Amino acid sequence: MKHLPKHLQPRWRYLAVAVESPPDAAFDREAFQRACWYAAGNLLGDPGSADADLSVLRFRHPDGSSGGEGGDGADVRTGSAGAEATAIVRVRRDEVTRGRAALACVTRVDGTPVRTRVRGVSGTVRACEEKYLNPPRGVVEERTVAFAGADRPASARGRRVDIELADGCAGATELDYPGPD
Amino acid sequence: MPGGAEMPAMSDQSGNDEDPGPYAAVHARPEGDATVARLALTAVEMGYEGLVVRNHGDADAEPLPAGNDGTDAEDGPSSREDPADGAYVPERVADAYDVDVVPAVEIRTDDRGQAAGLLSRYREERALVCVHGGPLNRWAVEDPRVDVLAHPMRGAGDVNHVVVKAAAHNGVRLEFDLSRVLARTGGERVQALRDLRKLREIVSYYDAPFVVSVDTDSYLGLRAPRALRAVGEVVGLPPGDVSAGLAEWGRLARRNRTRLGEDFIAPGVQSGRYEKVD
Repeated sequence: MKHLPKHLQPRWRYLAVAVESPPDAAFDREAFQRACWYAAGNLLGDPGSADADLSVLRFRHPDGSSGGEGGDGADVRTGSAGAEATAIVRVRRDEVTRGRAALACVTRVDGTPVRTRVRGVSGTVRACEEKYLNPPRGVVEERTVAFAGADRPASARGRRVDIELADGCAGATELDYPGPD
Repeated sequence: MPGGAEMPAMSDQSGNDEDPGPYAAVHARPEGDATVARLALTAVEMGYEGLVVRNHGDADAEPLPAGNDGTDAEDGPSSREDPADGAYVPERVADAYDVDVVPAVEIRTDDRGQAAGLLSRYREERALVCVHGGPLNRWAVEDPRVDVLAHPMRGAGDVNHVVVKAAAHNGVRLEFDLSRVLARTGGERVQALRDLRKLREIVSYYDAPFVVSVDTDSYLGLRAPRALRAVGEVVGLPPGDVSAGLAEWGRLARRNRTRLGEDFIAPGVQSGRYEKVD
């Protein structure tokens, strides 16, 4: 089909979204996309959801494949979450606020609790990546820390440390345990 | 007496009159899944200026005095008080992440006598005292020492004109809790929205003071102030009110710290230097 003339093409905005989840989380772009649609459908209703038209363009785990640099090149559409993933979510220009609201209501993806945060909004995918998604966060590092009276396995990302306990995971930072030395 | 009814004509005596930014009110370990430091780091990243640690009294996160932090000590952060059990040093976290950490408590009991005892005890210790809404709604709004009546509509809780009028009279803030609006779907969310609307209508009619929060116990449950404003816009809570409600925590904390300070005698009266009259 022939392209629409420029003035009839929909105007988009691209939201740079950080998705934080427990370190053992594993979900992919499709799951996050479903969660976005589900949240938008529930919060905004079918008409509002159609207007906002949230679609997840990129979904990347910090230590996932590093292809896709250069914007239009290889499109990284796969990758699984865990710790902090990033995504680019496309939304209609007039609906950015409602898109934000819908994303705030994404509290679970495939049963995994997540925290979403819009880092910024851009008019193009490339600008969105360059301004808000670079450089990627530090990679996950496994270590052992003293917490709650014992040495426990933990995964650290920068200053954040997720410590494995018997009854799940505890969020902590480097302030919460004695240093390695 | 810290807390207490607002004296409208009195200016803030701290000399720091600019409006505080948004504050996040959260539950830390052992009640939640994250330490105070982690919640503070997350809150800063999301654009909050302060963190109110409001664990329930029966799962308390204990603020330690500043001298007790054990920084650079051999045994690390305080061998006696474990961060895993909720111990934290507000000043230390505040310095590390450039965020205001407000030690608070949420009193949860069904017994008014016990609640009154807890209120007297915590009022002198903590900068903010909240009461867990529900059966104690009426009691809480009638005591000016209470700062915040938390989630008054949750569970079997309900408010009416009597409760809101009393809250306005005694300066007790009513909380708009957005957590159920964010996390629930279907019928439960409909209920949450209905409750929110009822509370909003009565509160705005009587011009009662209020706070806004995502009453969460997880670092994954926090949402940015801007996202909350967007949600507020969708569900009929004006974005301006959301901002005001998030900042109200900071105003309360500032007021109460002044009152807990040594120079404070009564609203408008303090010992010390003469104040310039302008």
